[in-house]
Amino acid sequence: MTANLLIGLREGLEASLVVGLLVAALVRAGRRDALPAVAGGVVLAVLLSAGLGAVLELTSRDMTFRQQELFGGSLSILSVGLVTWMVLWMRRVARDLRADLGARVGSALAVGPLAVGLVALLAVGREGLETALFLWAAARATGSGPAPLAGAAVGLAVAAVLGYLVYRGALRIDLRRFFTWSGAALVVVAGGVLAYGVHDLQEAAVLPGLTTLAFDVSGAVPPSSWYGVLLKGTVGFTPATTWLQAVAWLLYVVPMLLVVLRPGGPPRRARAAGPRAVAPAA
Amino acid sequence: MHRTRPALPAAAVVGLLVAAVAGCATDPVPAAGGGTADGPVVVTAGDDTCEVSRTDLTAGISTFAITNTGSDVTEVYVYDGDRVVTEKENIGPGTAYDLTVDLGEGTYQVACKPGMVGDGIRSDLVVAPAAATAADDPAAERAVEEYRAFVQEQADAAVPLVTALADAVRAGDAETARALYAPSRLPWERVEPVAEAFGDLDPRMDAREADLAPGDDFTGWHRLEKALWTGEDLAPLAPVADQLVADVTELAGRVPEAVITPTSVGNGAKALLDEVATGKITGEEEAFSHTDLVDVEGNVDGAERALDVLRPLAAEEDPDLVAELDARFADLHAALEPHRRGEGWVSYDTLDDAQRRDLSRAVDAVSEPLSGLAAAASR
Repeated sequence: MTANLLIGLREGLEASLVVGLLVAALVRAGRRDALPAVAGGVVLAVLLSAGLGAVLELTSRDMTFRQQELFGGSLSILSVGLVTWMVLWMRRVARDLRADLGARVGSALAVGPLAVGLVALLAVGREGLETALFLWAAARATGSGPAPLAGAAVGLAVAAVLGYLVYRGALRIDLRRFFTWSGAALVVVAGGVLAYGVHDLQEAAVLPGLTTLAFDVSGAVPPSSWYGVLLKGTVGFTPATTWLQAVAWLLYVVPMLLVVLRPGGPPRRARAAGPRAVAPAA
Repeated sequence: MHRTRPALPAAAVVGLLVAAVAGCATDPVPAAGGGTADGPVVVTAGDDTCEVSRTDLTAGISTFAITNTGSDVTEVYVYDGDRVVTEKENIGPGTAYDLTVDLGEGTYQVACKPGMVGDGIRSDLVVAPAAATAADDPAAERAVEEYRAFVQEQADAAVPLVTALADAVRAGDAETARALYAPSRLPWERVEPVAEAFGDLDPRMDAREADLAPGDDFTGWHRLEKALWTGEDLAPLAPVADQLVADVTELAGRVPEAVITPTSVGNGAKALLDEVATGKITGEEEAFSHTDLVDVEGNVDGAERALDVLRPLAAEEDPDLVAELDARFADLHAALEPHRRGEGWVSYDTLDDAQRRDLSRAVDAVSEPLSGLAAAASR
């Protein structure tokens, strides 16, 4: 029960964090109109995952291992790209806030509903197929009754609740800090997803260096322990990390954090005030 | 200027995703005679064990039927040296998963990783080149199809016989069940080598109590045999009887997919005689019912049938061998004949050591030249 619960939790955690922060950001930027797009992305991802899972499960069709890894790895990297776009958008909101405290945030920052829908779709759909297959296997589990399926479902529910709590918490944080800190949090999540995608591509033998490990702390942090699961589900921490994963993570996270947390950055004061209000958007 | 438009149209991405997966998913088509067309490799992954039912495979599509019997999450990998050939992560406790992979000739390792850490518990897999198919030799193909038809006929015949036995067990009618027991085994004994290729069925249906590993369930014919001849209460055995019916029905359904080649037919004939020599002559097979001679009849029938279907192929290659086998089979029938009683046979416990030795010699006399049949038929 516990082990299956933790699998569900790990698979669901990253998606619920990203979606929770995305919803919080849209609410706080006064862009509630984009929320249906987020919901649409989530629902579509669930339907796609369940549908494809069912197709693969119920027919004898099968993806080869290399196809699966390529698919998962590419989705991860696409996902990182979208989350990065979202982080940069949030950074601009934060900068505008610094420039003009009273301004209605986001009014000038058009964010396409399609784009946020895509972020949600990929956040949920990236691990969705894997999770759907796992749920199918749990549902089919012989000799152990409904326990595996119940465990996995409870794990996913716990992940959803945690995502909701992050969202509630995010609404309470000081508005200016919110965008900076949630941007930073998303950078770390995206770094984990990138490292995970790199590992998938290494397993598919598209990228080299699968066996050259930078470190291996599986002894101290077993991947199936609750804290191992939390680390993996939130910041994408893998106890046994290859050099390539570590380098990719550093090359992404360090510059991105500098960008997001850079306190200065000339606020667009000159343009944040009057002129833009009257100038038609080009 | 300040408007941020999504760089990627959503519709395109969604379409791309579905197309990617649908296009990636392929129907595994087992190469003829390749992979595990003769049944999946059963991997039982525990917290500190990794049991692999077979480690000798043939090239082609293989299926690993994985069950996690442990209390921790596990992963199963197939490695070619350091390269991951395929893997399945997140196999939760109590869940099962079929991993399908196309393996070429070579040596691989299968690893279970309980707790998803480390190098795992590994076993070597040896993948032999796929057997040459009989498709390019009409005579061989005819022989194979003739033998398959025989196996199908026997398997189909076994279903009602086993069903009747099971009905008697469920009804608590031990006397009727005892009478039905040996005849229900006869078709099975005729085709046992093919049935054994379905690795998971044979141990469930035909395991002898003495051969079980600790912790294995004792099921199948011999479980019923023990109960029927030791006067056990039959009520708890209804599930065993039901399982046997289900298994024999599954066997009949799987004959069309059995991998049969002239070589396997010849080797099967030899295996049948070995069965007689090692299990039946000693009286171990039917330790309670002493119906061993019925099993012997089935084994000899099956071996002779194999010789008959291979006759056109083997006679061309090695006519002397075929003539010798015919003579030895005749001797074996002569040795068995005194023990025949009408439609059936005497109870095996009435044979003294000298009679058993005579039978044993007659069996060995067939078995020895029979080992050349597969080679003669497949050249």
